[in-house]
Amino acid sequence: MISFLLRRLAASLLLLFLVLTLTFFLVHAAPGDPTNLVENNRMTREQRESLRRLYGLDRPLGEQYLVWLKAVARGDWGVSFSQQRPVTTAIADALPATLLLSFAALVIDYGVGLLLGVAAARRRGTATDHGIRFASLLLYSQPPFWLGLMAILLFAYLWPVLPAGGMHSIDADLMSPAGRLLDLLRHLLLPALVLGFSNTGLTTRFVRGSLLDVMGQDYLRTARAKGLSERRVIWVHGLRNAINPVIQLFALSLPALLSGSLITEVVFAWPGIGRLIFQAVLSRDYPLVLGVTAFSATIVILGNLLADVLHAAADPRVRDA
Amino acid sequence: MVNLMSGRLRPLTIALLAVSLLASCRGREEETAPQPPAQAEAPRRGGTVVLAWGAEPGGVNELITPATQITAEIADRLFLRLLEEQPDFAEHPPTFAPLLAKSYEWSGDHKTITFHLREDVVWSDGVPITAEDVRWTWQAQVHPDIVWDNAHMKQEIRDVEVVDPHTVRFHFNRVYAKQLLDVNEGGVLPKHVWGQIPFSKWRESGDWFKEHLVVSGGFTVASWTPQQEIVLVRNPRYFRKDRPYLDRAVMRVTPDAGSAITQVLNGEVDFIAQVPPSEAPRIKADPDLNLITYWSNLWVAAFWNNARPPFDDPEVRRALTLAIDRQAIVDTILGEYGRIGTTPIITAVWAHDRTIQPWPYDPAEARRILAAKGWKDTDGDGVLERNGKPFTFELTTNAGNQPRNDAVVMIQNQLKKVGVQATPRVLEFNTLVEETNSGEFDATVTGFTLDTSLDLTGNFHSRSIADGSNIMRYTNPEVDRLLEQIAGQTDPEGARPLFGRLQEILHRDQPVTFLWESQRLSPINKRIQDAKPNVLRSFFNLEDWWIKPQTP
Repeated sequence: MISFLLRRLAASLLLLFLVLTLTFFLVHAAPGDPTNLVENNRMTREQRESLRRLYGLDRPLGEQYLVWLKAVARGDWGVSFSQQRPVTTAIADALPATLLLSFAALVIDYGVGLLLGVAAARRRGTATDHGIRFASLLLYSQPPFWLGLMAILLFAYLWPVLPAGGMHSIDADLMSPAGRLLDLLRHLLLPALVLGFSNTGLTTRFVRGSLLDVMGQDYLRTARAKGLSERRVIWVHGLRNAINPVIQLFALSLPALLSGSLITEVVFAWPGIGRLIFQAVLSRDYPLVLGVTAFSATIVILGNLLADVLHAAADPRVRDA
Repeated sequence: MVNLMSGRLRPLTIALLAVSLLASCRGREEETAPQPPAQAEAPRRGGTVVLAWGAEPGGVNELITPATQITAEIADRLFLRLLEEQPDFAEHPPTFAPLLAKSYEWSGDHKTITFHLREDVVWSDGVPITAEDVRWTWQAQVHPDIVWDNAHMKQEIRDVEVVDPHTVRFHFNRVYAKQLLDVNEGGVLPKHVWGQIPFSKWRESGDWFKEHLVVSGGFTVASWTPQQEIVLVRNPRYFRKDRPYLDRAVMRVTPDAGSAITQVLNGEVDFIAQVPPSEAPRIKADPDLNLITYWSNLWVAAFWNNARPPFDDPEVRRALTLAIDRQAIVDTILGEYGRIGTTPIITAVWAHDRTIQPWPYDPAEARRILAAKGWKDTDGDGVLERNGKPFTFELTTNAGNQPRNDAVVMIQNQLKKVGVQATPRVLEFNTLVEETNSGEFDATVTGFTLDTSLDLTGNFHSRSIADGSNIMRYTNPEVDRLLEQIAGQTDPEGARPLFGRLQEILHRDQPVTFLWESQRLSPINKRIQDAKPNVLRSFFNLEDWWIKPQTP
């Protein structure tokens, strides 16, 4: 197990390095210039060159890469061009909002996905199964920004029960702690539902599929023969064995969650990592783009590593392979 | 370079989707217009207004952040300038009201200006504001380690002299038209606090400046939550003792234009600086909202690459103008909130030449001109050719700007009728800027804003091809000369005939086809009184805004 872990860890680090290197060159290759961003820019060429010197962009790209790599090795991710603050501070400020949103979305995604997936598997071929398949494909095929706008239209405008954006109300600082929490949850509800529901279609299909794979197995028949309730057969014995692919899916859904949160955060003005990188890309803020990419890539790679480890723990054939 | 607005009238859901794809509007524009009815009541103190803006300001120190509109909007509420530029440029160049300076005078040779500062003005920590702050601010503005976006506006200032604590003198290298605009650019900053860190550290100290904020303006920052909101509160040491009326002004960062509009409609937000014309009916129909409109200083045009044949021929460019039905474009995209553009000196400013009539829509004349230039449809495919080469080109614009995206398609259809084949291509903003700056394009639909200096050197002088925004690569020695004469002319009446001649030539040469001028539409909740957003600043007189109590 140790050597399996070490191998996976080494591969993960290599992957992270490759992602960062690729991102470095891609972001520098993108057309545009961090010194020429403003509408009606009236800076002179001389000023822009001074700024490029200040940012170190006047040096050859290979040299910039080495300088950046050395700094990163020291843990120095640089200063954001657009925010004039350390990249790590900018990420740390945006992180709690994204964690909260992602966690809430995951709960909705897997909560609803498990319920619907199990229901569809138990009632295979019935109208319920077809209905759930229709609904999950419909949800899965909706882009999150569209879902977001429709949610805003319905619940913030036509039937204004929830706020259209932001993370708290303007007068939140005057509220009691309980009031502030409630206010936060009200703001969280729409973006979390949108982000959760935009992924839950896939989760539902996956749960249904892997549950059906084990449904015909002998041990379930045995369980039923022992007189266990159908609920117990499915939720305890069936799902436990069907969960492995779902764990894999969980790791694989992290990138979707991160990219989905990018759109959702922009639509709902949710102040997280997604919006941070959105702005960073638009303003060609190279250090910030690289910092956020490194962070997101680490999360995704760690997620996959975790899934591998969990999978290996559950299935000895994997770690011996 | 590009100002962003939104599309045409569609059903509600489609409009919401469309506007969501657009960034907010940040151009500088001009002239105030219809206001809510005058209030008989006396202003009341207290309350909070919520303002929505699509982007977050760069920080509290405008010298180290990109010069976006919102950064300047906030900076002007925090830091007093010497004078306050007034939006009264319809009949004459803008005037300047006293602000930090109570008066000023020019030397006889117009190379030196002396400001007399108010003596009752202090920083929010109680320290008096002096001429030392003014001088030190200028040193920061031009410092090579800071590279302020607007530093070029100070390049003709040779020195700033502290005469006494309340008298400061600016010495210029030469006499030119926009000396006062240049000297007044940027708020005066607190030397006694911000001078604690060396200029070389400024560009990495955005947070430090927020944490060490002392202000001179009507508002200070109570809290700044990145990507969310900035809470401005009354500066108790503001020199106008009865202002601001508001307790707080919350600037909410709302990147999605669609949700910003929803928020103003459902009362979560009181004011948005700009909404697309397609939203006007909804705003007007809302009993809680007023719609303030005023002419923008944005001129939008089809920029022909004058360095590339066949656009190097003024007659061909004029034929293209004649072939484009600009009234139809304005009617479709802007409705009552737009008009055809004729020159870059927009209609709403004093120097606009009202004798110039827009070229008519005349496809027959366009075909005749093109035929005279040798363009004929020899193979009958509907596209003109000359020397075996078809008249085809790429017409670019930036993504996320629905009016321009619509315009390029309309232009494509209209040009098709005279045998010219334009292929629209929509590019990401930065990509478009790179292509146009490098000259690697045929034609592009984009816009520029005219600032109150009316200095068009950056767009039309031949030296601005290499260093500036003459993206169409237009060269005309007489235009160069006129622009130089205008830039040196300190008497507006002396400049007027020069502006007239300049516009006449640009109208004749059509280096670009001027498409439209548009109005800005600012929805505002009716409970807000005395708000006077204008083209220079949306939050122009935020200190005077007040809230009318709701009648039960």
